[in-house]
Amino acid sequence: MSGAGLAGSEELLAEQDVQQGSGRQLLQRFLKHRLALTSLIVLLLLMIVCFGADWVAPYPQGQQDLLLGPTPPSAEHLLGTDELGRDFLSEILYAGRISLAIGLFVALLSTLVGTTLGALAGYLGGWVGELLMRITDLFLIVPAIALLAVIVQGLGPSPVTIVFALTALGWTYIARVVRAQVLSLREKDFIDAARGIGASNLRIIIAHLLPNLAGVLAVGMSLAVASAIIAESTLSFLGFGVQSPQTSWGSMLSQAAGYVGTPQVYLLYFPGLFILVTVLAVNFIGDGLRDALDPQGKHL
Amino acid sequence: MFTFIIRRVLYSIPVILVASFVLFWAVRSTFDPLAKLRQAQDPTAVAREIERLGLDRSILEQYFLWLRSFVTGDWGTSSRTGSPVLQLIGEALWPTIQLAFWGLLVAVIVAGLVSVYSAVRRYSLGDNLLTGAAYLGIAMPAFWFGLILIQTFAVWPKQQFGLAEPPLYFIGLHSPGQDGFDLDYIRHLVLPVAALMIALVATWSRFGRAAMLDAMSSDYVRTARAKGVPRRQIIWRHAVRNSLAPFVTVVALDAAVLIGGLVVTEQIFAIPGMGRLFLDSLVAGDVFVLLPWMIVVAIAVVICNLLADIGYALLDPRVRLR
Amino acid sequence: MQRSQVSQPQRRRLVRAAAVLIATLTVAAVSACSATSVKPTDTPNASVTDGGELVIGAEQEPDCADWIATCAGSIWGSYIMQVPTMPVAFETRLVDDVWTPVASDLLSEEPEAVMQGDKQVITYRLNPEAVWSDGTSITSADFAYTAKQIRDSDDIFDKTGYTGIESIETPDPQTAIVTLGSSYAGWRSLFSVYGVLPAHLLEGNDRAAIMKDGYDFSGGPWKIESWNRGTSVTLVPNENYWGEKPHLDKVTFMFLPDTAAAFQALKSGQVDALYPSAQLDALKQIEAGLPGISSSIDARSGNLEALWFNNSVAPFDSKAVRTAIAYSLDRDAIVKRLFGELGIDSAQQSFNTPIVGAFGSDDFSEYTIDLDQVDEIMTEDGWKRNADGVWAKDGETASFTLETLAGNKRRDLTVQVIQSQLQEAGFEMDIKSVTPADLFGTIAPEGDFQAGLWAIVDTFPEPTLSASFSSTNIPSEANGYSGINFFRADIPELDGLLAQVDNELDQDARVAASVEADHVIAEEVPSIPIDTVPNVLLWSQKVGGPLSINPVEGPFWNLAAWGLAG
Repeated sequence: MSGAGLAGSEELLAEQDVQQGSGRQLLQRFLKHRLALTSLIVLLLLMIVCFGADWVAPYPQGQQDLLLGPTPPSAEHLLGTDELGRDFLSEILYAGRISLAIGLFVALLSTLVGTTLGALAGYLGGWVGELLMRITDLFLIVPAIALLAVIVQGLGPSPVTIVFALTALGWTYIARVVRAQVLSLREKDFIDAARGIGASNLRIIIAHLLPNLAGVLAVGMSLAVASAIIAESTLSFLGFGVQSPQTSWGSMLSQAAGYVGTPQVYLLYFPGLFILVTVLAVNFIGDGLRDALDPQGKHL
Repeated sequence: MFTFIIRRVLYSIPVILVASFVLFWAVRSTFDPLAKLRQAQDPTAVAREIERLGLDRSILEQYFLWLRSFVTGDWGTSSRTGSPVLQLIGEALWPTIQLAFWGLLVAVIVAGLVSVYSAVRRYSLGDNLLTGAAYLGIAMPAFWFGLILIQTFAVWPKQQFGLAEPPLYFIGLHSPGQDGFDLDYIRHLVLPVAALMIALVATWSRFGRAAMLDAMSSDYVRTARAKGVPRRQIIWRHAVRNSLAPFVTVVALDAAVLIGGLVVTEQIFAIPGMGRLFLDSLVAGDVFVLLPWMIVVAIAVVICNLLADIGYALLDPRVRLR
Repeated sequence: MQRSQVSQPQRRRLVRAAAVLIATLTVAAVSACSATSVKPTDTPNASVTDGGELVIGAEQEPDCADWIATCAGSIWGSYIMQVPTMPVAFETRLVDDVWTPVASDLLSEEPEAVMQGDKQVITYRLNPEAVWSDGTSITSADFAYTAKQIRDSDDIFDKTGYTGIESIETPDPQTAIVTLGSSYAGWRSLFSVYGVLPAHLLEGNDRAAIMKDGYDFSGGPWKIESWNRGTSVTLVPNENYWGEKPHLDKVTFMFLPDTAAAFQALKSGQVDALYPSAQLDALKQIEAGLPGISSSIDARSGNLEALWFNNSVAPFDSKAVRTAIAYSLDRDAIVKRLFGELGIDSAQQSFNTPIVGAFGSDDFSEYTIDLDQVDEIMTEDGWKRNADGVWAKDGETASFTLETLAGNKRRDLTVQVIQSQLQEAGFEMDIKSVTPADLFGTIAPEGDFQAGLWAIVDTFPEPTLSASFSSTNIPSEANGYSGINFFRADIPELDGLLAQVDNELDQDARVAASVEADHVIAEEVPSIPIDTVPNVLLWSQKVGGPLSINPVEGPFWNLAAWGLAG
């Protein structure tokens, strides 16, 4: 899971000057980014066709044509057919359901867990904060791929356990980043002011700290989606990912790895293309969000 | 400085211990150490092993039993090959260290150069192409690159140009019968190192570029420019130097993440390292290798973290005072 | 430095996106070039020169080289180290196009097996020229040591046959007389599957420690020069071998766990030969064309995949259901889909694999797809199609779960094809992936399954159906849960026939009993054989010699005759 260990970025991000803007201002800034907007539309489109594959896909899922076998793209089959003679486009859409679901759920859950724990650790400080840091250290030390394989082996390879395993490893990055941000924000004037007028800790966290984390979280989440999709495909390549008859883009990639150098190499490229477009879209959206929330645009 | 290092080392030890217990518990709950033995249908052997490993006792007792033998160097025997685990891991470490070393070295250099170039020539075509490539690097898994690289740079040139041998090799680290640091070794290294470092370079260069931009927009750089200091000096002496600290930290910490890429790369390029050992042991349910393997890797990561902290402290004196 | 809000970042991002797309398409174009088609089976270049080295790709690294122990289960260990170095009593050769055990040149004549009362006595006469690599003769003492090691040690892979050895007499170094407590018709497998161990080197020592990481003695044409774990095994000629000496100076087997990379290695000349398992992508690689690469394909392998029914649970305790399913499957279509490119298009019609040749028949060929028959059989048994089109009777539907081993794409394909064929015929099948350890360690022995798809492998040209089909081998307390009749076949007349096959020394009588047993099995349909996995050997133009596939001993059985093409 590349990019998960960017602890140095905590310091960097903590130093940024965050501009508070009203909701409408944020929306306006985001919409100005045409590429981010396009990416959002593309992503929504992808989600619609994949989650709505039952209605959108040209052929029903799993409709085999044994004698046909794998054929390259043609008029009847826009992306060709796979080893069982199933329409590849339809299969990709159905597989996309699982891939997107895994990617989004992992990103969401790990952000949720990470933000909560990180904010608590940063705000409360003291031994709670230290304990949390030591726990994240633990997770950083343990080799991710090993733990993933063991967890999936133990719980059985299903999309649910994969989401669980990836979340269990993914929350640490967000937690560290959030904590660093909160630490730096904690000392700022407006927090003191809020405390001065008697706002409860919880209110401070929710109303004042969280909005300032949005930029960081946007980056974190987009990285998390990409990492999750890649991690799932690596797990599938090694044999621990989504098992047949279920498919995901990652497992399609790994199954088609042996076709490099053959005319069936499109079986490898099309799922790859979908992964690429998804990751790009998510990253551009993340860029857009971050620019909207931080127009000084110092980062990435 | 010395106390700093000592403090960090001492602090690492309890972390490793706790990590080892968590791993021990996870592995023991998932795998049955006696699976292979049970298949042999020898009831006395099974009973003997239960006694030796203390499998009928509490998990904590088992852990301490295991810890004691681990610390004294008795890592047991692999249930898959019958060889001593210490030997297996020792033999597997060297190829992985080589791969990781070259991978990191090249990745750092390339990422550094790319970051500087991208930041200095911001918005140019070069910057755009490189950042585009970075997105590709982040989006695709390592095995995808590995196979494409093999096809593009080894198989296709040989077939297209009718060469006697492919220009770059992709099996193992040496040709049969060869050893040492020679052209053959380099020809073996290029492709696996490339596959390994693409994702790293992609992430680091994005990050390094941002750090550079930060540095270049800071006050002292603006002052230096106003004073008329030559551009080249500004870039290298000031901007790079100051973006080095966070860059180093990121690099060292992502080293831990390197492991995932290593497992897949070793599989494709047939390199007999820790990644292969892990896969073989996992498939065979060889608990006796899996556990020490994870501890060794955890220790390696701790060492990397330590080096990162030291590096960061050297580059940024403020850290030492914390 | 402020970044302008609108146009520059947008443009730069568009260029980025375009760059990425161009890069991807370029790479795609380069990689998609294909070549000429390939002929199914090529004749090898027979003439060879002396000397030279070859590098051969091996798919799997063996775990250990202590051949009689449990760690030595991997067939690749047998192919690359055991067969080239261990002397055996019987070799497997094609006789009249049928795989048959043939006495090797370790023996000076065909051994005779006679019954003396209840006991079977086999007399082996050794070739006086047979020597080990250190010059010591191979003697009857080696036979005695080998038999006792296998029979009496713990942690042995499979003791079948050796447990019946009552005594071995060695009246002189060239004669060994083995007495079995009861008749054992498969006696030719003794001293053949494992080979013969050197008593003078191993007696009194720790055999496992000496052998498991590779050993330097040999009774065959080759010696193990080195075994670099994870990397390669290197063989060099055994100068003291009394038979045909190798042409090559050295053969290195490189371990290539990844199929895609293995094919690339063959195409790029990094390995000179490959023996890939017949996986889908491997077959596509072959079909796509391997320029300069010759191939040999043999469907007569000992690796049989079958659809196994647990005969003791519903719905498979009903013969009607089992028979109906047999008529629901178009097995030929399955095989054609799997191996059509290799020119293989007919299903396996017997549980006796092609390597036990004459012992098998083709009774399952009567079960071709016939949905009308399915309807007839099921309705007669009281089933009716429900609203979903699935057969139902007394509130139960004809649904079941199929256990299959993960990580085998070709098998996944097989299973999915079966699923869809059965669905059309009115049967609902669920697929569940399990690990081999779970399947063969717990699930199958305990009978905790309804149906499964896995392979059984014959490793010697002697029929062994009783191990799987005899009711005495149903895992139970009586046999310590070690029987492998996992699917609980309990057919009384079958038990008797299979016992005859095991014990009858008269070859003709054995064959007759075996053929009759095949009839009975096909009649009762305790399970259904699907296909045998073909063997594929690929080699480059650099390699010469009489290359051919031996389904028992592996493709390197005649490695001594290989050489650089001359």
